[in-house]
Amino acid sequence: MGDSQYSFSLTTFSPSGKLVQIEHALQAVGSGQTSLGIKAANGVVVATEKKLPSILVDETSVQKIQLMTPNIGVVYSGMGPDSRVLVRKSRKQAQQYFRLYKEAIPVTQLVRETAAVMQEFTQSGGVRPFGVSLLIAGYDDNGPQLYQVDPSGSYFSWKASAMGKNVSNAKTFLEKRYTEDMELEDAIHTAILTLKEGFEGQISGKNIEIGIISADRKFRVLSSSEIDDYLAEVE
Amino acid sequence: MSRGTGAGYDRHITIFSPEGRLYQVEYAFKAVKAAGVTSIGVRGKDSVCVVTQKKVPDKLLDQTSVTHLFPITKYLGLLATGITADARSLVSQARNEAAEFRFKWGYEMPVDVLSKWIADKAQVYTQHAYMRPLGVASMVLGIDEEKGPQLFKCDPAGHFFGHKATSAGLKEQEAINFLEKKMKNDPAFSYDETVQTAISALQSVLQEDFKATEIEVGVVTEKDPVFRVLSTEEIDEHLTAISERD
Repeated sequence: MGDSQYSFSLTTFSPSGKLVQIEHALQAVGSGQTSLGIKAANGVVVATEKKLPSILVDETSVQKIQLMTPNIGVVYSGMGPDSRVLVRKSRKQAQQYFRLYKEAIPVTQLVRETAAVMQEFTQSGGVRPFGVSLLIAGYDDNGPQLYQVDPSGSYFSWKASAMGKNVSNAKTFLEKRYTEDMELEDAIHTAILTLKEGFEGQISGKNIEIGIISADRKFRVLSSSEIDDYLAEVE
Repeated sequence: MSRGTGAGYDRHITIFSPEGRLYQVEYAFKAVKAAGVTSIGVRGKDSVCVVTQKKVPDKLLDQTSVTHLFPITKYLGLLATGITADARSLVSQARNEAAEFRFKWGYEMPVDVLSKWIADKAQVYTQHAYMRPLGVASMVLGIDEEKGPQLFKCDPAGHFFGHKATSAGLKEQEAINFLEKKMKNDPAFSYDETVQTAISALQSVLQEDFKATEIEVGVVTEKDPVFRVLSTEEIDEHLTAISERD
């Protein structure tokens, strides 16, 4: 697979030393729906807008927040189809790690391998970079962790981060509200308030998605009624 | 061999434009519309119906060989809107995939799994320069063992969603507006209502009354979960029912 006629990289340096395709990929991320993550003292929460193109779409058929392993979840901003590829590859890598070491893959390792895939697509022949940034949330022996991976393949650990359309407002809001000793429940409320800031229209359990992981090390996506309950608390 | 460094090649292969768009994918969407045909799908309480125009451009053509409705397995149907040649290629691969699934796992491939497979394939074409995206929007229908009637739509960008009702092709937006009004209060359509909503949506949007030979209709029902293409007599019954209702 892969035409030999395209065995040259499509992502090449511009005269000023920039990798323009990666910058364009970041633009694609920046025009995607807002998503964010917050690391609390006893867990991590990730949240995203779930705006669907029409009321005819069955919202129960769509889940943007996905599991990579039972204790690691991921949310994206940018091109949905690209995120599916990364989720699939990461799940396989996590499984291969387990088969070899008989131990659940640590969050940092999975992030590293996912980022390596994204970097490959900025250098391999005949492919374009991924048009997504990922927020990977997990809980392992090193406690709760939150990482953001960009189309270039670079990744950092964050206390709280946001991506997508409303990124600058969301990050300013998070900077004000974040505290080191935040509990998971506070973090969920803060996440909802942050999403609400830039939200166009009426926010409800049907047009946002929230995923959480706490010390029980089981990542789960909240149901829309649970989200509605949190929204009522926040009012 | 031209090198795609982004300077003007973002329109020729699927690399990013400066605004972060994929022009080739957007052009693939235009190709779906350029086929000049509109398709509609509606999901009812216990059935799913898809309808499309049957345009036979030449009287010398064998009408029976012109079709956009393809059975993938006995239980899954696919309505392809857009470039017919691309559709046939996709259908051929989908049939193979569904058969392998049944062999490997011992149960029929569900609707959403097939849709995801089609969408993931479409995504590959948006990321690898050596293959262009397919100019096809696929509507997949079937009865899911656990979730009941299912209607999914997959597009050239690799998106796929489940739908209560949807449309693809030339008059896609007008049809979606029409369907949004009809489905606003989450009606639970019976089999007849499902078929007639789909057909009358097409008639309304194209502003013409059809003869039974000018449209193709495919259905699955919970009672008989086999994918079936309606005969011209059955289509006629529904058309008559619609005109009497109005």
